[in-house]
Amino acid sequence: MEFAAKFAFDMVAFTSVMVLIVLGLGVIASMMGIFNFAHGELVLLGAYTVYLSSEAGLGTWPGLLAAPVVVGLVGFGLERTVIRRFYRTPIIAMLGTYAIGLIIREIVRGLLGGHYKSIPEPIGGAFSLGGIEFSIWRSFIIATTLVVIGGTYLLLARSSIGLRVRGALENPMLARACGISTSRLYALTFTFGAALAGLAGALIVPLYQLSADIGIRFLVQAFLSVMLGGVGSFEGPVLGAAAVGGLAAWLPWVVTPVLADPLVFLIALAIVRVRPQGFIAVGRL
Amino acid sequence: MTATTRAAPPATARRGSFRILPAIELAVLALLLVVPFLLADRPELITLLTNVVILSLLALSFDLCWGFSGIMSFGQALFFGVAGYGVALVGRDLEFSQLWATLPLAMLAGGALAAILAAFLLLGRKAPTSIFVAFGTLTGAYAAERLVAGWQYVGAGNGLSAIKLMAFGEYEFVEGLDFYAVALTALVLVYAASRMLVRSQLGLVLAGIRQNEERLAFFGYRVQVFKALVFSLAGMVAGLSGALYSYHQGFTGPSNLGPGLSTTAVIYCLFGGSGTLIGPVIGTVAIEVLSYVLADIDAIRQFWPVLLGLVLLLVVTFQPTGLLGLAVSARERIGTYGARKAAR
Repeated sequence: MEFAAKFAFDMVAFTSVMVLIVLGLGVIASMMGIFNFAHGELVLLGAYTVYLSSEAGLGTWPGLLAAPVVVGLVGFGLERTVIRRFYRTPIIAMLGTYAIGLIIREIVRGLLGGHYKSIPEPIGGAFSLGGIEFSIWRSFIIATTLVVIGGTYLLLARSSIGLRVRGALENPMLARACGISTSRLYALTFTFGAALAGLAGALIVPLYQLSADIGIRFLVQAFLSVMLGGVGSFEGPVLGAAAVGGLAAWLPWVVTPVLADPLVFLIALAIVRVRPQGFIAVGRL
Repeated sequence: MTATTRAAPPATARRGSFRILPAIELAVLALLLVVPFLLADRPELITLLTNVVILSLLALSFDLCWGFSGIMSFGQALFFGVAGYGVALVGRDLEFSQLWATLPLAMLAGGALAAILAAFLLLGRKAPTSIFVAFGTLTGAYAAERLVAGWQYVGAGNGLSAIKLMAFGEYEFVEGLDFYAVALTALVLVYAASRMLVRSQLGLVLAGIRQNEERLAFFGYRVQVFKALVFSLAGMVAGLSGALYSYHQGFTGPSNLGPGLSTTAVIYCLFGGSGTLIGPVIGTVAIEVLSYVLADIDAIRQFWPVLLGLVLLLVVTFQPTGLLGLAVSARERIGTYGARKAAR
């Protein structure tokens, strides 16, 4: 019982982080039709912001709050200068965003000096519930994710911006004809996606060691989640993230950790192969 | 093939259409033949040059995927690395390193692995999106790097060092001119074979796929099968490159399998000019030589990978045809197919 509860808890915590990353990736993919290969590095930037603030002696909290803003601004800058050139050519966009990711990753690697850094949890310790210990920080991650998902949902479903976003998603041409500036919406979407990635990076960095290569790991996992869940819907990627998160949390219990990681990818790829449209099929990628 | 068409038409019909691409190819070949003799007293430069030639093969294999059949492969290093580990293990466990057997075996290993991956990613009831294929190859390389980095039998994170020297009969190849000769022979053979391939009827189909994949499919060509075939051939080339690289370095490690080296191959190829065969070779030479020259400057060495990323971004955004695109017209880059009618 205790084992099952702990396991479920770990799985939910991992899934929450994946959901944050995937939400950003999925929103960008379904809105602009491009797959952001630099998304993992945006996560890395979020993590790096927290590291910087704790290095500067400010503690982790200012970094945690600043991360979404900083990464969102970086995303905004990137969209305005580079990414927007790629909307007409999704294949080239792949290479372009990959190059951006490479640049960010190598800059961070240069700044970190190739070392692994660990950052303490802002709220350490655990609380016990029914005799089982739960990590407070992981609970905080789950709570934050729930708030973000709820907020995003409300934003999309209830606000006027959300209405415009949905319109542009449904039919960009018609949206433009109605006087909605899709260009501005695209910049907004990209900024939002980047901010989510930054937040995710900031939340997970206490759980993982910070190194320049964490981005690529989360990129691959997020991609598989989006593929599993199906592009273009809100629920699809979230469901996919839950599946990948579950696999990633469960497999190390069954096989040796060395095998577990590659196996997650193989299983997820195999599922995508069998069901290419994802769990929920509406998208256009 | 190009050679015969070049000679066939009468001189009048050819006036003003001097072909620059064969000239560049010849110049590069001459350079690769002559330069080592000029550098004979600088062994470290011979080593660099050998590396460049071997990595050109890797760049060439990526070009076969991307430039000639439109498969974005971020996993070319996977075949490179597996073949490299393969020859290292054969050398360690079987004490065998005869190049007439190990090099073909390495090609076979790379090709077979590529075929399996292609069957998985490309072949199926529904054609995959190019993004799925790109991510699939990236995932493959990433997973392989993680797996190898944790696997004690293949040396885990430390990789395999002191690889048994490549041999032919009793003769063993160490770094130097003779190893360079082997590498250059391999490059020339692969290059010639690729040149024939892309100008053959199969190459014509590939050109059609690049132009309009859907139309080719409506013509009845099984587009994905052609792509899978080229992907497997490219895997063979990458395997050969990886085996030579391991022998030459005397070391192979997890990073030789991963997305990092795959990315380097992408940069070589796009910088030089994808879609031509000489482009990747020029790109590899240019980038490796630049990296060697600039490595002396501390500030640049530390941020060299960042510069490479910037180069990739700039090339993708502003000069998609790469260095070669500056000198060679689009018509010549794309090329012509079939024999020309002589004397009209």
